[in-house]
Amino acid sequence: MSKNKKNLRLTSVSAGAETVMHIILGLFALGCVIPFLFVVIISFSSEESIRTIGYSFVPQEWSLETYQYAFEKLPQIWRSFFNSIFITVVGTVLSTAMCALYSYALYRPDFKFRNFFTFFSFFTMIFSGGLVPTYIISKQLLGLSENYAALIVPLLVSPFNIIVMRTFFKSSVPMELIEAATVDGSGEYSTLLRVVAPIAKPGIATIALLNALAYWNDWFQALLYLRQNKALQPLQALLMELQKNVEYLNRMAGQLGTAAIMESTKVPTQTLRMALVVLLVVPIACAYPFFQRYIVAGLTIGSVKG
Amino acid sequence: MKKFLALLLTAMLILSLAACGGGNNDPAPSQPSPAPSTGSPDAPADVPAASELEPVTLKMWFHGSTVTPEASAKVLETLNPVLQEKLNVTLEPIWGTWGDFDDSVVTALAGGDDVDIYFTCNWSPNEYNRYARDGYWVKLDDLLPTCGAELMSAIPDEIWECAQTNGYDGMGTYAVPGLKDTATQYCWDVNGTLLAELGYNVDEVCAAGLDYYSDDFEALLKAAKDAKGDSFYPLLIEAVVLERMGTTTAIVTGDLGNSNILSYYYDAEHPSKDLGSTVVNKYATPEFQKFVERTYYLAQKGYIAPSSQNEATANDYRTATSLSGDYLINTQSYAFGCELDYSSARKIDVRMVPADAPYMDATSGQGAMMAISATSKNPERALMFLNLLNTDPEIMTLLNYGVEGYTYNKNSDGSITFIDENRANYTPWTNGMGNVRILPPTDAQGLDFWDRFTAYYNSAEKLPMGGFVFDASAYEQEAAAIANVYAEYGFNLMSGAVDPAKALPDFLSKLESAGIDRIISGAQEQLAAYLG
Repeated sequence: MSKNKKNLRLTSVSAGAETVMHIILGLFALGCVIPFLFVVIISFSSEESIRTIGYSFVPQEWSLETYQYAFEKLPQIWRSFFNSIFITVVGTVLSTAMCALYSYALYRPDFKFRNFFTFFSFFTMIFSGGLVPTYIISKQLLGLSENYAALIVPLLVSPFNIIVMRTFFKSSVPMELIEAATVDGSGEYSTLLRVVAPIAKPGIATIALLNALAYWNDWFQALLYLRQNKALQPLQALLMELQKNVEYLNRMAGQLGTAAIMESTKVPTQTLRMALVVLLVVPIACAYPFFQRYIVAGLTIGSVKG
Repeated sequence: MKKFLALLLTAMLILSLAACGGGNNDPAPSQPSPAPSTGSPDAPADVPAASELEPVTLKMWFHGSTVTPEASAKVLETLNPVLQEKLNVTLEPIWGTWGDFDDSVVTALAGGDDVDIYFTCNWSPNEYNRYARDGYWVKLDDLLPTCGAELMSAIPDEIWECAQTNGYDGMGTYAVPGLKDTATQYCWDVNGTLLAELGYNVDEVCAAGLDYYSDDFEALLKAAKDAKGDSFYPLLIEAVVLERMGTTTAIVTGDLGNSNILSYYYDAEHPSKDLGSTVVNKYATPEFQKFVERTYYLAQKGYIAPSSQNEATANDYRTATSLSGDYLINTQSYAFGCELDYSSARKIDVRMVPADAPYMDATSGQGAMMAISATSKNPERALMFLNLLNTDPEIMTLLNYGVEGYTYNKNSDGSITFIDENRANYTPWTNGMGNVRILPPTDAQGLDFWDRFTAYYNSAEKLPMGGFVFDASAYEQEAAAIANVYAEYGFNLMSGAVDPAKALPDFLSKLESAGIDRIISGAQEQLAAYLG
């Protein structure tokens, strides 16, 4: 009871301030939701309606044509959908495991080269190799081209996530606990899996979400490493390509002349682009509730207290 | 241990700093270029039979393709056996799209990818002249007589001349120019349907020609505006094209990208007539002043849409409005036969009224080329392949139009009809591939299309400056300063958005302090040297 009271005192503010807060946050939320809602509406508008009255919240005519076209005429969309999901699942599992293991080692004060390996990962945040050297190493040395690995490996390790995760370990897993486990006869692996991992769940979930987002949203690796084997393209890359095609043809109309204008009549229309955005956002939006209960805890513990 | 660690880290820091100092973060051509492996140590004396040739795989990078993986596999299934029989070559195409070509091709070139043949031209990021200068392309002059004899005669000399550039290994040819729409002509694109609605005799108006500065021109716009209401803008423009039409100037190849500042005046009726062959500061000429004043006047009258005067919206607006046909007069860089395509796409009667005679210069000659990469292990074979592609109708048709019975059907008269469903999945950029004149005509084009096409482009006169290419590499500082000034004034002036009475003098004085005169005189010197 007394605990409840304390909480109330801590979080409550005057009614006026609360109203202002609610209005500000409400507007912010609307600012986030409305554009997406608009995209959804456009994707369900008929092409004719867009041509006559432009983008509108109330189109002249609703239509499912775009989605029908997308799924019937563009076999690549199904494949890209699968690719995106595959890359995201495999990539998230691998990168989260690597991140957790790496940062766990950095967290353990009895690890001798702790400082070196912290610096080793931290260093790449400040100095990166640059695009071309990275490309040469990935492609020529590691053979990352025209395969799934090329879309997964480059994003496996994120120094930022490692530092967040290490801080999380530090602030939520007391060293005494590990010592106690050791005294009770637990080996290193069982300490990690049975004692540390359950405590670190919020942190791991947060990192997993960040990784999942990074993989789901990535199109640049596909641009760099997929040239001939375009069947492996993830959905995001497909959307980016359609978008860029349209932009490019409009921009280059002067140089390309008629070729550009004829081409631009062929590339997918505005509603198709919007439909692709919807297809892209919905699955990853579904992942949020799954991670949600961990996120708040994870982020506040991970970054603020650290 | 600690000492060792500190030492190691210091070393790493120093090394990485040194790397950063080189500015290696962008794939720009300041990269150390791969050593060009020019020359042909053991070039075959005669072209040997396919069976005597080693089997090789060639990777070729195209631009602007819309090709699905299945369609590509299907076409290659037919194409590669033919190629193996003729050259013992297996082709691995990389179907670059409009959207991804720019980003990925520069990375691939800087990264030294094992691609044999690249699409290049004077408007893409792997710009032909610059990449030739930096040693990315193989110089072809020594190889051409042995590996590309038919190619040499298939492509007219004037086009070869346009491909000449001052490259890494001296003046020479560094890419095979495509025999496509090799001339430039500017036309007023007139909405004939609307013109007839307004009560004009379309044929008569179009035959009489359109003069941007005449009262008749304005009267047409006024009639359309009056008939269609205030929200209708009869004059649809692409500002930079309108400027060239209004002043009869040609782009000087190698100029500073989109903010081209050099102008070369030619005679509208006879482009080859020598007007003294001078390169001038475009903006300081009385022609330019007359043009911007006229454009501002028409804009004030409400004939030009505000969306066309805003650089951010102009392109999208133009594409959308062209397609919906909501214009009376539009600006167009002409390609032979495009009025037919446009009429069917826009569902109106599109007429093209020439603003000048077609002409040929380096810009049109270098519009689409195929260069052999310096990283190619088989430059001779790559050239032999290009030779075959540009001279063998079977190969060209296979690669460009696909497989008979899959993407098209042959008609009894020799023309072809596309099977739209599959052709949509296999549409390389026709003009980006090479010699399009050996393709079969489509039923929409008509049987004699390629004859008329060839006749039209062969009739184009060569500008007196010929295949001149300006080398701007010595003027990078001025170019950057000028680009800033241009961004502030250029587009606004040319689209009639600002009053030239005030903006033009400001523009000129800022250009002068940015150092435009140095570039102009440099270009003039280079042109004089080129013309000898």
